[in-house]
Amino acid sequence: MTAASARRPTKAASTRVGERQEALAGYALIAVPMLLFLVLNIGSILYAAFISLWKWNIRTGPVTFLGLNNYVNALTDSIFQAAVTNTVYYTVIWVPLTMALGLFLAVIVNQKIRGRTFFRGAFYFPAIASSAAISTIWIFIMNPFGLFNQVRGILGINPLFALIGFGPNQDWLGDYHTAMNGIIILNAWTTSGTFMIFYLAALQAIPHEVYEAAAIDGAGAWDTFRRITFPLLRPGHFFVATVGVIGGLQLFDQAVQIGNVDGAPANSLMTLVLYLYNAAFKRLQYGSAAAAGVLLFLIIFAATLIQRRLFEGREPTTA
Amino acid sequence: MRQRFLTLSFATMFLVAACGGGGSSGAPSTAGTGASNPPVESENAFDPASISGSVTLGQWESSPAEGTALKSAIDAFSTAYPNIKVTQTTIPGDYRAAMVTKFGASDPPDLFYINAEYAPEWMSQGFLQPLDDYIQRQGFDTSKFFPDYLSIFQQDGTTYGLPKDGNTIAMAVNTDLVPTPPTTMDELVQVATSLKGKSGLKAPMCLNPSLDRGLAFLYAQGGSLLSADGSAPAIDSAESKTAVQWYMDLFKDGLGQTNTQLGDGWCGEALGKGDVAIAFEGGWLKGAMDAFPKIKWQFAEMPTGTSGQKVTINYTAAYGIGVDSKNQDQAWVLMQYLTGPEGMAKWTSGGIAVPSRSDVAVPQGFEVIVKGADYAKPGSGFMPGYPDVLKAFGDEFLKQITDKTYDAGPVVDATKAKISAVLAAQ
Repeated sequence: MTAASARRPTKAASTRVGERQEALAGYALIAVPMLLFLVLNIGSILYAAFISLWKWNIRTGPVTFLGLNNYVNALTDSIFQAAVTNTVYYTVIWVPLTMALGLFLAVIVNQKIRGRTFFRGAFYFPAIASSAAISTIWIFIMNPFGLFNQVRGILGINPLFALIGFGPNQDWLGDYHTAMNGIIILNAWTTSGTFMIFYLAALQAIPHEVYEAAAIDGAGAWDTFRRITFPLLRPGHFFVATVGVIGGLQLFDQAVQIGNVDGAPANSLMTLVLYLYNAAFKRLQYGSAAAAGVLLFLIIFAATLIQRRLFEGREPTTA
Repeated sequence: MRQRFLTLSFATMFLVAACGGGGSSGAPSTAGTGASNPPVESENAFDPASISGSVTLGQWESSPAEGTALKSAIDAFSTAYPNIKVTQTTIPGDYRAAMVTKFGASDPPDLFYINAEYAPEWMSQGFLQPLDDYIQRQGFDTSKFFPDYLSIFQQDGTTYGLPKDGNTIAMAVNTDLVPTPPTTMDELVQVATSLKGKSGLKAPMCLNPSLDRGLAFLYAQGGSLLSADGSAPAIDSAESKTAVQWYMDLFKDGLGQTNTQLGDGWCGEALGKGDVAIAFEGGWLKGAMDAFPKIKWQFAEMPTGTSGQKVTINYTAAYGIGVDSKNQDQAWVLMQYLTGPEGMAKWTSGGIAVPSRSDVAVPQGFEVIVKGADYAKPGSGFMPGYPDVLKAFGDEFLKQITDKTYDAGPVVDATKAKISAVLAAQ
């Protein structure tokens, strides 16, 4: 860095040159990742949009120009409509559920209890374990004669389940009424760890003085949480909700493991990404698959915009 | 003068013979009907022994035993054709998806498996190399393939694959509980009814709620999916509707349950664990049942239904060469060995697979399966878009069973709509 000029208001040539050198160095450093991002991410999106206008053969490329026919066919396909319904249902239920769980866990491990580092690791572990392995184990647990049904039989709570219409050997993941809920519960448990980490970071950004002031005012634990902690976590809520919705709308791993690639039972586990996968690899209709991908992009984009609007005006002014 | 004339005429005759001989193998092949081709004596004849090089074989491996059986067949090939080096590539996970991406990259293995399930799509998309030229030039005998195995891998009179093995669906019974297997569908219902409520059994039979087994029952009871010429749906005919309702009633009367209702991975496991007494599976059941030594069981032919004829469905896979494959001649040499009588005998002697040729000895225990090949109709790959039809039928059928409404009407309607949509899109 060259020495700055003593006269403040106007910059000396040496400073301008220094700044430009710094700027150039910056651009040079991000040039490679930026190029990769532009080509692989933005370029792929544009290419997919291009493919979606054609009947496309994976070996020979474009075959017939279809215009928006792929989009029309997708939107009128009952399986695609089922996919949208399932995916939106999943997101609407799973995101708040996992946010609540994550917040609950974060508040617990934020306290000074013994072994909290161990608990932080233990709660986070399911998020990094293999989703295929976890799905397989979940299939065994939810088997009609598996662990869950046996345990509730032993505990004698079957009458409670009978009240809401579930027999003692209910096939949770094979019955198309309950299969999606089974996946919501599975994913709520596995992703609660990730959301816990996000909330932990947001919790620790709240200054101590606020709590001290609340204690002086005589606020109890629940009041403190409801009136002080929860509102101050707004940036955390926004971030977690956005990440959750983006991830939730792309549900695939568990749907393909548990639903046997075609959304069994009876399309209840068909999600948007699974529809795309089937269109591409089963029916070899790449234009259709690309159209589904673009539609998914539009849905996620719209959801994110809506969330920004919802959270925008109410950003608190914490440091 | 005379010598020059003789020389000239001989030279002309040679030239004419050479040009004429080159054109004689251009006649259209009869591979579509599976008739045998006599050895071709022209200069264009293909002699497998003269080919050298290397070939990559793309495969899936459903069990280590299958890998061993295939390896022994490949070793026998290497002894018979020492000039060709074979490299096996096992493709894990979703074989179909992985292969499609390879086709897209124009870099498929030289020789690879093709399952009947997606054969129509791969043929339509132009992924596969036509084989008629090789078949004719070598004089490879395709007449010994069971006809409904080979037809799946032919489109518009061109052959794109040769079946490497084949399976038919048969009835498998627990011989302790069912000492005499039923021979008709009515007897089957009687036997199942008598087994209802038997202690230790979760259900008399394990049945799949879709056409992957239901098609055999549909055919047996006189129904069908398509009209005879394959141009229109026939699932809504009176016989088909009755057949579908009959199959649905097996669930309704508690004579059969799905494998998920029983808590088993598939019906073979249900039979092996003693949850059911009767299941309907193919030759792959034999290897799986070896893991359940306590159960005494046997294969029996599918019972005959109201159609009065023996019928079942087959599942098969073939070898194929990609249009973009690099070593096509070498791939053909490997294919003609593995699907010829000698190679197939080696492959099926491992007890993993069932021959798709009638001139290969039947491995022990698979007699019923091979018998079924005489009268089996294709269980997949007989119409493009069949997986979508299968899904339409299965989704609605499963809904009816789950909701306990057991009505075949919506199932037939959904299937008919899908068949019409698929046929219209061709």
